[in-house]
Amino acid sequence: MLNQIFVKPFVDMVSAPDFLLQVVWEGLVSGVLYALIALGFVLIYKSSRIFNFAQGIMVVFAALTLVGLHENGVPALLALPLTLVVMYLLAMAIERVVLRPLVNQPDIILFMATIGITLFLVGFGELIFGGENKVMITEQLGIPTGSYTFEPWGGLLILEQKDITAVIGAIVLVLALLLFLNRSKMGRAIRALGDDHQAALSVGISLSTIWVLVWFIAGIIALATGIVWGARAGVSFALEVIAYKALPVLMLGGLESVSGAIIGGLMIGILEKLFEIYWGQPLMGGNTETWFAFVLALFVLLFRPQGLFGERIIERV
Amino acid sequence: MIKLTRMAAMATVLAVGTAMYSPAAFAQDSIYVPNLSYRTGPFAATGIPLMNGQRDYVMMLNARDGGVGGVKLDYDECETGYSTEKGVECYEKTKDKAVVTQPWSTGITLQVLPKTNVDKIPILAPGYGFSPMADGKIFQWAFNPPAGYWDAASMILEYLSGGDMASLKGKKIAFLHLDHPYGKEPIPLFEAMAKKYGFTFLPIPVGLKEMQNQSAQWLQIRRERPDNVIMWGWGAMNAGAITEAVKTKYPMDKFIGIWWSGSDDDMLTVGEAGKGYKSISWSQPQPDSQAMADIKKYVIDAGNSLVENPDVDTKKVFYQRGIVISMILVEGIKAAQEHFGVKAVNAEQVRWGLENLDMNAETLAALGATGMVPPFKTSCGNHTGHSGAWMLEWDGAKFVPVSDLLQADQSAIEPLIEQKAKEYAEANAPWPVNNDCKE
Repeated sequence: MLNQIFVKPFVDMVSAPDFLLQVVWEGLVSGVLYALIALGFVLIYKSSRIFNFAQGIMVVFAALTLVGLHENGVPALLALPLTLVVMYLLAMAIERVVLRPLVNQPDIILFMATIGITLFLVGFGELIFGGENKVMITEQLGIPTGSYTFEPWGGLLILEQKDITAVIGAIVLVLALLLFLNRSKMGRAIRALGDDHQAALSVGISLSTIWVLVWFIAGIIALATGIVWGARAGVSFALEVIAYKALPVLMLGGLESVSGAIIGGLMIGILEKLFEIYWGQPLMGGNTETWFAFVLALFVLLFRPQGLFGERIIERV
Repeated sequence: MIKLTRMAAMATVLAVGTAMYSPAAFAQDSIYVPNLSYRTGPFAATGIPLMNGQRDYVMMLNARDGGVGGVKLDYDECETGYSTEKGVECYEKTKDKAVVTQPWSTGITLQVLPKTNVDKIPILAPGYGFSPMADGKIFQWAFNPPAGYWDAASMILEYLSGGDMASLKGKKIAFLHLDHPYGKEPIPLFEAMAKKYGFTFLPIPVGLKEMQNQSAQWLQIRRERPDNVIMWGWGAMNAGAITEAVKTKYPMDKFIGIWWSGSDDDMLTVGEAGKGYKSISWSQPQPDSQAMADIKKYVIDAGNSLVENPDVDTKKVFYQRGIVISMILVEGIKAAQEHFGVKAVNAEQVRWGLENLDMNAETLAALGATGMVPPFKTSCGNHTGHSGAWMLEWDGAKFVPVSDLLQADQSAIEPLIEQKAKEYAEANAPWPVNNDCKE
């Protein structure tokens, strides 16, 4: 047994390095996607202290809107900005109808409100788009669908072009987001609100404007996530389930940290894949991805309750 | 906007329909047939066409014949989202008036199975549920015609072996399945067959959250290099698996799914690239059948169907399977009406009807459904019927049959059914058994 745990996995990695590369690549792609979902949570939490339970359904809603518009004759490249308009209108509606009346309410009330938003979007989405599986308009959006095949060390490495596009797209999106948060006036306002609500309000930062903005940015991230995941296995309400994969990322990276979401996502993506392939499948019958990330996050929380990159909260009494 | 208008019209039709078919309107002259449907959630893509088929057949009978034996059918859906907890709630909510319960998930079936003994309501689970339910002596209230999961497992192996099971010796067969009671259901039979015929059986579970990202499972398949992959998928898992199979360049002609992994909609994502993928099926579409013509005339053309694109969607495998499922239920009701001489039959009488189904070639022809399902017959000791099934293959645009009717190896299945049914009854003692059945 000790051999199976401490020796064989590493022997397997060395004896088939092409396969190891494939595992790491698949983990990296998953990690980028987890990071994207986690970013949506972090942005909203940072600016409003709301844990946005609706992030998963926003992914579905954004992807369905894009596909739905195209099905109704709107060209793909026009459907994309129109979907962004819909996500902006959704952000405005959420701020006006749900969040504004709940200002100064306890966090749990706001959290419950996001569950309400989830239920509304599930029903509304099904009414408008139906529950059937739909095909993502990958080619129409200009996303390449072929694959590159390499033979490193005489083995086989397959890189899907849409996965490469997803990774590059996610990196560009994250860089743009970091630039926006760190260099723009509005970005600094979001960070200021995250640091101290009252201080930010006292210097004239508009809470409602910032909330609309962060929910809109979360909508953009949801659309990007929906396109990438939808291209893998179709667009349906099952996409909502993938939001749960972001929870351990948030536990690991910290709820307030953009860099934590990115590094946490990549760590979980790669580590869970390596664990599943080299330890989970041979020793435990597989399917360890359902719990590995949570156990890893739990382990981190034992030593750093605020997560790897979260802010340490010290309450003085 | 067009879609919104259409949805509003459908909602109106549903509302009016519900009012028209309400229990108050029918009083004792209706038969309440609830369906624990799942048109929402991660499995909706599988559920919607099935529920549409079921609903349209009942609507057609109500419109064409005034129901069954002069009594209208009060079809009602209770949404479960494929959740076991919600399914049990729906069962409790509908059981007082229901003549049948259609749980639509192996998880829900297992939960309501003991309750139906007390409530005396037959479970109708066509092609799903707990395989030992075939033993009618022990599972008096449960029916899974026309074929069970162990039938499917046996027929798939029969097909892979080309009729010579000994040829499977030394082969490796991967079993990609949803990590759920449904996905685990055929494992006992596969394990028994692997032992008997000397092939390696490799179960590969897929968690609910991994349905759309099965890269780890397909990396394992790439590493293990199985001779064949058999899939027991549901909902979004099917499209996820087929996409990954294409991506990893796994030969499609070596990939076979259960009948719930053979939906046209699941194949849309891969289209041509999925050519050669197969699915065992106890139903096959017959778009030119009389039953379909009547549904078009009385339901679709009348604007009472929920199908979005009738010209395309009504020709698909799952829609037409939904029709067959309602057909089986209605034949059970008819048999009960004839036997007991009662129009508005109750649940106990419908149980008798389902136990005495005779869906022979003449009956199917009379129903205008020749070729939609193989002929089968149930009895007090055999609640499945073991109809056999066809192998369907995706040709890039639709599923087409590529085999004659296959039959399961009952000599391998029957002892397992007997053993597992007995174990279940003992584990749940005291469990009522039908000692009057001498089969």
